[in-house]
Amino acid sequence: MEVDQERSSLFRHQRSLDQPLGSIITFLLPAVTVYLAFTAFPVIRTLFNSFHRVLPGKAALFIGWDNYISVFVKDDIFLRAVKNTITWACLSPVLEVSLALLLALALYAKIPGARFFRIAWFTPVLMSYVVVGIIWIWIYNYDWGAVNVLLRGLGLAEWVKAWLGNPKTALWSLIFVTTWMWTGFNMVVLLAALHSLPSEVLEAGELDNCGWFKKLWFIVIPMVRPTILNLLVLSFVGKMKVFDLVWITTKGGPLWATETVATYVYKRAFEWSTFDLGYASTVASIWFVIILSGVLLLTWLFRQREKLEY
Amino acid sequence: MSVAQRLKQVAFLILLSFYTAFVAGPLFWVTTMSLRTTTEIAHNPYALPETFHFEKFYKAWVNSNYNVYFTNSVIIVLSAVAILTLIGGMAGHCFARYRFRFRRFLYFMIFSTIIFPPQITIIALFQILVEYGLYNSRIGLILVYVAFQLPVTVYILESFFARIPSDLYDAARMDGYSEWSIFFKVSLPVALPALSTTVILNTILLWNEFLYAVVLIVDEAKRTLPLGIQQFMGDHLEDVGMIASGLMIAIVPVVIIYVFFSEKLIQGMTAGAVK
Amino acid sequence: MAVVNLEDLTKIYSGSQEAAAKDVSFTVEDGEFMVLLGPSGCGKSTILRMIAGLETITSGTLRIDGKMMNHIPAKDRDIAMVFQSYALYPHMKVRDNLAFGLKRRGFAREEINRRVTQVAETLGLTPFLNRRPHALSGGQRQRVALGRAIVRDPKVFLFDEPLSNLDAALRVSTRNELVSLHERLGATMIYVTHDQVEAMTMGTRICIINLGRVVQIGPPTEVYRRPVNTFVASFLGSPPMNLVHARLERGLDGKPLLRLGRQSIPIPERWLSDAEKGRQEVIFGIRPEDIFLRGSVPSYASTAGLQMEVVAVEPLGAETVLILKTDEIDQKVTARVGRDVGAKKGEKIEVQIDLGSALLFDPETSHVIEDR
Repeated sequence: MEVDQERSSLFRHQRSLDQPLGSIITFLLPAVTVYLAFTAFPVIRTLFNSFHRVLPGKAALFIGWDNYISVFVKDDIFLRAVKNTITWACLSPVLEVSLALLLALALYAKIPGARFFRIAWFTPVLMSYVVVGIIWIWIYNYDWGAVNVLLRGLGLAEWVKAWLGNPKTALWSLIFVTTWMWTGFNMVVLLAALHSLPSEVLEAGELDNCGWFKKLWFIVIPMVRPTILNLLVLSFVGKMKVFDLVWITTKGGPLWATETVATYVYKRAFEWSTFDLGYASTVASIWFVIILSGVLLLTWLFRQREKLEY
Repeated sequence: MSVAQRLKQVAFLILLSFYTAFVAGPLFWVTTMSLRTTTEIAHNPYALPETFHFEKFYKAWVNSNYNVYFTNSVIIVLSAVAILTLIGGMAGHCFARYRFRFRRFLYFMIFSTIIFPPQITIIALFQILVEYGLYNSRIGLILVYVAFQLPVTVYILESFFARIPSDLYDAARMDGYSEWSIFFKVSLPVALPALSTTVILNTILLWNEFLYAVVLIVDEAKRTLPLGIQQFMGDHLEDVGMIASGLMIAIVPVVIIYVFFSEKLIQGMTAGAVK
Repeated sequence: MAVVNLEDLTKIYSGSQEAAAKDVSFTVEDGEFMVLLGPSGCGKSTILRMIAGLETITSGTLRIDGKMMNHIPAKDRDIAMVFQSYALYPHMKVRDNLAFGLKRRGFAREEINRRVTQVAETLGLTPFLNRRPHALSGGQRQRVALGRAIVRDPKVFLFDEPLSNLDAALRVSTRNELVSLHERLGATMIYVTHDQVEAMTMGTRICIINLGRVVQIGPPTEVYRRPVNTFVASFLGSPPMNLVHARLERGLDGKPLLRLGRQSIPIPERWLSDAEKGRQEVIFGIRPEDIFLRGSVPSYASTAGLQMEVVAVEPLGAETVLILKTDEIDQKVTARVGRDVGAKKGEKIEVQIDLGSALLFDPETSHVIEDR
């Protein structure tokens, strides 16, 4: 009957207009497909691999937790790589962010030429790690690299080292490089955060006759805490996955001094003649979990204190 | 301003200038080295170029395959960025404008992968690309790059689209435009600032990308610039001058973009980090 | 032009228990200017958007010129809408903003240009045709939004609180412009607002909406003079109508009385016939302008006197507002009197209340008591 027909077409139209389902699907389909095919599925597959022996040309062989046990119990290189990477990932954020904060404050205090400095300090981040790596190989060169030339020039010849070739100094040399690279980035972000603070609060601190350090510690830092947290997390995650720089400069040497989990996974998967993708996947999976936990931990640590503040 | 304050400021400036030299120094040095021959550099690594050896760039370009590397990088990066902008825009528009079940879930799924380390995907990606014949192909790398940068692109675009007032869409609807036309004729044009930010950001990041390229590309003919440089470095470790010229070929496009779009670029790369 | 007919129109948003609009029924005649008036969140915008086709209709029917519109998409309804925020396309010049809707409908280029030029002329937008919205003032943007609707030459015009973003002076002048526009075009217009001054001055009829339902429909003066309940009574009019608790009773001499606090005023017999029906507690409604000072009572009024004490005096220049109270009644009573009144705070005065304009409301249902 007419009324019923009207009513049912009413219903259809209602659904179609409130959520134009066809359009939604069209808009999302490409992105979601790419995501599923090249991100989500690979993650699952890597996890799957980690429980198997995956050799070229053969079917994957299920071996349960064997790989995981091997990794934790027998794999010295893994442990060394973990030690290196975690050192890097814990040290760098602290260095990069605190230095960046000081620089940002300096610029914020309206030093003339702030705009120029900001643009100049941001540049290292734009370079590929390959480029950066090569430049610093030269800077660290024993004979004619800038570091040693400078040291000799200052009469400190006994401090001259083969920076990247010496197991004791290699990792720190690399950490220095990433600090060189990323401090500028953090500085720019912090500067933007500082500029977005209400100036009245800082002025009130001025009136309260605080010393500059007190002002920093009690007023400024708490107010940019969310940004600082973001930067710490970004830096932490970035160092946990560092590959490019190491690969170009030391390839994990000398003697595993700069081996990171990323380089180790690569070697295990693609370079060593074992060809077993399963084991490498296990390392990757373990690392994935560790990174996620690290991020959650960091976030929780900082969030918690924020609550106490209020 | 008192003398003490003036002095403080000057001291500050000197300090900051030192830091600037520290930061920009290495890059400046590479630029000079790219214009000098290896022999000149061996004599005095830190001198300024006396004659500007522009022919080195030509040599690198023609003799050392840098033209190939450069072309590959351009093709791959531009394609990936174009695809990213389109599908990222579509997804961002959709997330921002419509309310549907699973909206938050899907968005979170995509967004959360920002912190995933490449290791968790690279091995399986290798397997998948090999299985589908996309290994060692530009298309394969393009698709991987699109997936790689998708989360950040969707994030930036979604937050911009969300700020467009919904009255604008209603008016377009009443003017008779379909959802698709609204996307192309209203959403995209209005979101141009954010779109340009993501384009610049993605271009720079993908131009410099190394890990995925090194795993998924093997042929000399398909190498991107970072791979090419690494290869060249391996082959000609001693030829510092030529390596430097090669580095410049990789750096100069980035610098050009930076010169023209420094604000945009800084904004794009720091997007989301500021809270 | 067009007749718009709503029958039992209801809108329930998915996930919500409450209806945003319920059983809304009214008809807008051809060429009428119908105002949908109500407080924020009452559902008037929802109703407008259902008419426009921007919201789906949960139940009920919408007809334009007899044709059912429920499942016809917005662009095919031949309706134009002016939004509160103007919704101008920021990346297009004014000229293109005006032409946008026409291009889509396949009009010829010359026709589009002709219409755009003409409308720009009418609204004084010709010097701005090549500017972008961000380079225009609020009032200019408003006119572009208006122009965009006019250029379409639609059957029905819809307005969603178009004046709320304008400053007071601009609001008054634009209001007049809209009224002239309506007279000129003779088009059917449906206008949503929460501002009762706009409603009173612009509407052919006002439809009062509260909590998603239609409360009263009628020409402005009728809705003002004969509100159907206390909500309408207090919504229209500024200062709002005084609503005071009172009691109908019979005096010792048998005369009908209305007791307000400790005072009683004589009332017509027929008022009391309601009391005989069992209604004794009532709400007595009297507008501030229907309260007079002794000596200023107009000849048409049939009045009764009350003793009140002045609580506050607000001299507004053209008139004075007195805030009065009397014992045992909690509510203050507001009166609008002439500008030369010399009343002082604390002073005890007598006021005359025009019973002819007064209303009685049922305290339980809030409805007006009809037959008085």
